[in-house]
Amino acid sequence: MNTNNLVQEIKEKVRLLIAESYKDFKPGLEKDLKTFLETSAEKLERWTILYANEGINEEELEWLLKSQVDLISLQALQTAGISKIKLNAFKNNILKLIFEIIISFVTKRS
Amino acid sequence: MKHLKQLAFLIALSFITTSCDSTRTALFDSYSYQKTTEIKVEAIKIMDKAAMPYQNHKQEVEALFLEIEKLQEYEKNKPNNEITFAMWQVLSNKEKNLLAGFFKRWESKEVLSPLFIDESKKQILSALDLLIQYEINKDKESKEQLLELINLNS
Repeated sequence: MNTNNLVQEIKEKVRLLIAESYKDFKPGLEKDLKTFLETSAEKLERWTILYANEGINEEELEWLLKSQVDLISLQALQTAGISKIKLNAFKNNILKLIFEIIISFVTKRS
Repeated sequence: MKHLKQLAFLIALSFITTSCDSTRTALFDSYSYQKTTEIKVEAIKIMDKAAMPYQNHKQEVEALFLEIEKLQEYEKNKPNNEITFAMWQVLSNKEKNLLAGFFKRWESKEVLSPLFIDESKKQILSALDLLIQYEINKDKESKEQLLELINLNS
């Protein structure tokens, strides 16, 4: 399975969502998205392949995606300090969208 | 000369204390480092068994969480240690998808798939490594402060 376009597809669709629905939060959300994709691209591709090959199911894929958000929150806590970081800053809707994009990415190609 | 050296040492010590207060980071704590490393090793050992029924390993999981609870209490009461405590809160929160979340899932599903165990284990190990690295860096930070003061006083 070629996952080269996956991260690009996620980026484009989430940017569109931010522009349409989260205009007021745009700068913060785009930064969160950038951090998430930069630190997670390799994992997103690996989990997508595992999901496509039925190594993990939909629920497990969702669990892993959320664990990545929690891991990034921990990293942020460590580097930025407690006063500068809001845990769960990465909006749930965006995470949900990334999850849906991966599911449809796999469905389209199977 | 001997008195001067003692005085310089005391001044350096007071500078370190003041400096640590101002940066609001606790000093390196070998107990925290050792306990976190032990918890990491124990957690991996138990997670490796998650392809088997949870009920068979319930006691091991409970023993692990008792250790985590004790360490968390210790971290909570240490001055200027908010970040370490906050990191432990994320790890031990059953609603988050890291250490406690993994065991909650195991309990509710009874057994977990080997591929899922492998992938989630990587996530949880990274999280515990972050905590360990953070503790080590406190040591580095205090050493740098000490060296700086020694250089200033030499």
